[in-house]
Amino acid sequence: MSSRSLSLPLRGQPVLSVRDIHKSYGAVTAVRGVSLEIPGGSIYGFLGPNGAGKSTTIRIIMGILLPDAGEVRFAGLPLDGALRDRIGYLPEERGLYRKMRCAEQVAFFTELKGVPRREALARAGEWLDRLGLRDWKNRKSDELSKGMQQKLQFAATLACGPDLVILDEPFSGLDPLNIEVIREIILEQKAQGRTVIFSTHMLAEAEKICDYICLIDGGEKILDGTLDRVRQDFPQKSVRVAWENGAEPPDDLPGVASCRQEEGSWRLMMQEGADPQRLLPLLQEAGPLSLFAANRPTLSEIFLAAVSRRRAGSRATGGETR
Amino acid sequence: MKTWAVIRREYLERVRSKGFVIGTILGPLLMSALVLVPALLARSGAGEQRTIALVDPTGRVLQPLRERLEQRMQEGSRGGSRYTLLPVTLDGRTLEQGVGELRRMVADESVHSGLVVAPDFLETRTISLYVKSVAAMSLRDELRPLLNDILREARYREQGLPTELREYLAEGVDWKNLNIGGEGGEAREGNDSAFVVAIVLIMMIYMMVLMYGSHTLQVVIEEKSNRVVEVLLSSLSPGRLMLGKVLGIGAAGLTQTGIWTLAFIVFTQQGISLGSFTLDTSFLTPLIWISFLVFFLLGFFLYALLYAGVGAMCNTLQDSQQFNFPLMMGLVLPMMLLGLVLEAPNTPIAVALSLFPLFAPVLMFVRVCVETPPLWQLVLSWVLMLLAIWLAALAAGKLFRLGILMYGASPTWATLARALRQK
Repeated sequence: MSSRSLSLPLRGQPVLSVRDIHKSYGAVTAVRGVSLEIPGGSIYGFLGPNGAGKSTTIRIIMGILLPDAGEVRFAGLPLDGALRDRIGYLPEERGLYRKMRCAEQVAFFTELKGVPRREALARAGEWLDRLGLRDWKNRKSDELSKGMQQKLQFAATLACGPDLVILDEPFSGLDPLNIEVIREIILEQKAQGRTVIFSTHMLAEAEKICDYICLIDGGEKILDGTLDRVRQDFPQKSVRVAWENGAEPPDDLPGVASCRQEEGSWRLMMQEGADPQRLLPLLQEAGPLSLFAANRPTLSEIFLAAVSRRRAGSRATGGETR
Repeated sequence: MKTWAVIRREYLERVRSKGFVIGTILGPLLMSALVLVPALLARSGAGEQRTIALVDPTGRVLQPLRERLEQRMQEGSRGGSRYTLLPVTLDGRTLEQGVGELRRMVADESVHSGLVVAPDFLETRTISLYVKSVAAMSLRDELRPLLNDILREARYREQGLPTELREYLAEGVDWKNLNIGGEGGEAREGNDSAFVVAIVLIMMIYMMVLMYGSHTLQVVIEEKSNRVVEVLLSSLSPGRLMLGKVLGIGAAGLTQTGIWTLAFIVFTQQGISLGSFTLDTSFLTPLIWISFLVFFLLGFFLYALLYAGVGAMCNTLQDSQQFNFPLMMGLVLPMMLLGLVLEAPNTPIAVALSLFPLFAPVLMFVRVCVETPPLWQLVLSWVLMLLAIWLAALAAGKLFRLGILMYGASPTWATLARALRQK
């Protein structure tokens, strides 16, 4: 890759900066002042409910849409066509030429990223081998199953050897087996020093592999940071508890907002700022404990709480929510 | 280089498709069939055998008409039917009875048609033709010159003109078609087939521009509907994408036209001479070939860009119907005006029409074929077309950028206009 002489920022330095971008379609505001710093060499989860503005933000990064305001920088430089060749992009709506042979197809998309044809063909072959599509190289893509088409699209995204990979909803429409395949590829990209941004609303998947997350809703960023940091900052904690004698949690536990039974144990949701450790002696009074675990909040709990808090907040201040 | 990749993909996909291969082979076959079949029919005399019943109380018509029909058949200049005369003799019956029998024969289709010569034919010149279907009326045009001849001959004879004088008077004109070359140079003898060749070339321009121009519309809509376009646009700009598509499809069109033109040249050069029918290609000057190529290319680009812009705004082919119609009229209208321009290629209206960029590929080219228009007019039409292409590229680029990711409601003329007004 001698043509790519630009040196990438070190691990942890921002490889991509999105600065205060805005985008409206007529009267509808899709993105409202979103800023992101994506650290190099990380896996960055871009999370949000449907219609939050994830795809619009990604399309702006890819230069498919022009922002009404704001800018995108790559490795410190304004992102232009040549720099975009170093970004691999998997759109949310998968697009393949139905009548084109698989290897040709991957090579074509790779060529569009500035890779010479001969090399593009070689890399297409390698990627199809890797993804178990070796026997399908000369078949047309509409002969492939849906899962195989997804893999083909992945090959088309990654064969150009990008420094940054942006995957818009990479797991949608995949069976668990293929989700595993894609997860491995994402982790491998990271291991090779690449940066991966992916958007998803499948929070359990994001939780497994993300270093950083960003949560957006209604076109605005709600929170971002490392996954650990986000968890720590999350004010509401919960405790899972069970008694050997099958006792039930006593009433009037201090700092507990609610409790519910799940899978043979109890989950006590703490009020904001309450310390779960203080509960331990009180719980022991009810009987010998078989389980006491101060739970880290799941991403989906954080997500739901953050979204509902934001929506409640903007209603209270009279702001519009969409 | 990216544009080049798009061009190559577009070109190869077209050229490798079954439709292209079949079309490329079938085109010349159909073309030659169009020219050859009538010629072959005329030559083999495979036309219908038709019997004409004839009531001739004067006795002056039967024999000369039979001779002339036979002579005409031997010349074989006209394709179609052979006629035999079946005399209905009166044998003491009244004329009415004879005519009655003739009418019955025509009615029950035992004969094709019936001719009745008036008893006082020489004075009244009256001949009646009885037919069953209107289609048989074309017979009148075939028989009339022969009967005129017979009447004249009979009158000369009646007036006692000497034979030499009669023959002298009966002579017709000796017809020659002469084409004057553009240089005002020597006159060459030509025939109707020069006209046929010109029409074939015009049809070729018309068909290819229509076919390949509207092809860009399909391709753009298809890419939009299978969402490939988003991947493409993340790698190159809308303008370069559009340019690549149009050039790729144009190259495929040029390949097909090239093959057809080659077939056409071989076909005509091989001297397909069938009876009196030969294709005269000697009038195809270099200027005509150059114009053919230029008008094909400019016409294609102009229409392809317009179609690409419209395609970008639409989600389905149905959406595009309403926009398709006016674009199609741009090509169909000049075909309808072809006759007007052919008849008077130098009138101000013909000149104006042929300079109009949307019509020029057909109308200016036809003028180049039938006469040589002033060079400045030809060049002006090319300049105007280039200007139109530039405008079309600007408009199409704009529509492409705005429309290509627009899904949902089908567009209207208002949306189109709004999109064009946007910065």
